[in-house]
Amino acid sequence: MAKKYIVIGGSAGSFQTILGLLEALPKNYPFPIFLVLHRLKNISSGFVEALSIKSKINLLEPNDKEIIEAGNIYLAPANYHMYAEFDNTISLSTEEAINHSRPSIDITFYSVAHSLREKAIGVLLSGANKDGAEGLKEIKEMGGITVVQDPNDAQIQTMPQAAIDLFKVDKILTTEEIINYLSKLHFLYV
Amino acid sequence: MVDDNQIKDIIQVIKKVADYDFSDYSIKSFQRRIDKILEDYRLDFNGLVKRIYSSSPEEMEKLIADITVNTTELFRNPIVWHSVKYRILPKLKDNEKIDIWHAGCSTGQEVYSMLILLKEMGMLDKVNVYASDINQLAIDKAKKGEYIYRFNIEYLQNFDEVIRKNPYNFEEYNDVPYSRYFDIDQELDKISIKNEYKDIAIFKKQDLVKRENVFYKKFDVIMCRNVLIYFNLKLQSQILNFFYDNLKFPGYLVLGYHESILGNEVVKFHKKHYYYTKKLI
Repeated sequence: MAKKYIVIGGSAGSFQTILGLLEALPKNYPFPIFLVLHRLKNISSGFVEALSIKSKINLLEPNDKEIIEAGNIYLAPANYHMYAEFDNTISLSTEEAINHSRPSIDITFYSVAHSLREKAIGVLLSGANKDGAEGLKEIKEMGGITVVQDPNDAQIQTMPQAAIDLFKVDKILTTEEIINYLSKLHFLYV
Repeated sequence: MVDDNQIKDIIQVIKKVADYDFSDYSIKSFQRRIDKILEDYRLDFNGLVKRIYSSSPEEMEKLIADITVNTTELFRNPIVWHSVKYRILPKLKDNEKIDIWHAGCSTGQEVYSMLILLKEMGMLDKVNVYASDINQLAIDKAKKGEYIYRFNIEYLQNFDEVIRKNPYNFEEYNDVPYSRYFDIDQELDKISIKNEYKDIAIFKKQDLVKRENVFYKKFDVIMCRNVLIYFNLKLQSQILNFFYDNLKFPGYLVLGYHESILGNEVVKFHKKHYYYTKKLI
């Protein structure tokens, strides 16, 4: 088991932040990362390549029941919800979209909150809807750390603002600060 | 939200009252389904337990329908259907009879996709198509072959990808009209399968967990897409063995786009393109 598990939710306006983060994360990064991004339905594999261009860490769309390992970024596949199970595997589902979203950020956040509790670090980025706020709150309630992109820094404020309005998030950071925080996290939790 | 012990209790109660065993379902998505049921039925945990105990058989079927997931599309993931069209079915073309089973057919869109493809390939006459699902309400819908147009319109693109276009020859385009297979009524927001394709497939209710072959047949092709994701590894492995035993040789297994064969069953199947073939062991 890794010491920390990072789960990131992003929607409209988050792509550049994600690219910047992936570029900054060092090789041998010791924490698994779950990435849930809202995207167009029919864009599938090209998206992974676009995201991976500058990443030093392996980015993949997991298959069902894949074992969660450090050194991987698990991108929720288009048209599936992604769960972190108790037995350190990923499971997928095709149940209905939630708030018009499949993958749903809330679903992955909830599952990470309960499976990984204080090991979870949830990060919510720019977006034009309210997906992720409830799930992020759950991460906080289960003992994890919550990070929200500063709405003033986000291209679209709605999603991060929804979390800030809902509960007291631990950190409100700019894109640069988020990248800095996450890419140095392994010095904090050795 | 129901907690982990409450989930176990609910599973036990359902097992006791009705003949369904959800013990080996993936916990997280099952939990999510139960939460959704509590929300939709406006019940709390105790209310749900009471409800289960007092359910009529019809109410229980409704509950099972709500617990299980019934997402399906026409020609879902065209690239997988390219496997079926260009790699699997051509190998069966010379068989006298072909038996195809859709395990977990939900509301039937995939079954009709197969019938359409078989018709276009001139193979429909020699094929028996079987379809099963745990959800009786979904099966009733599947038999009816009537869907909401606005929910299915985007899947007609998939039809184009699989039936009209040829991924190996971009200049080829078969302008197969939708009206060959569908009656579309935009005013009533309805898309129906043409009657002549409705009575071909044999639909039966089946709980895969019980591993009973309800068709008493062996199959050349088993389609089981996005069903195993709801099962834990132990149950997945049992079902894969069940499929193995009920496939002919050669036999083809098609799973969901993000499903794969893991664990001990790896040695029983060859992975090819977007499908698996039965290995002789």
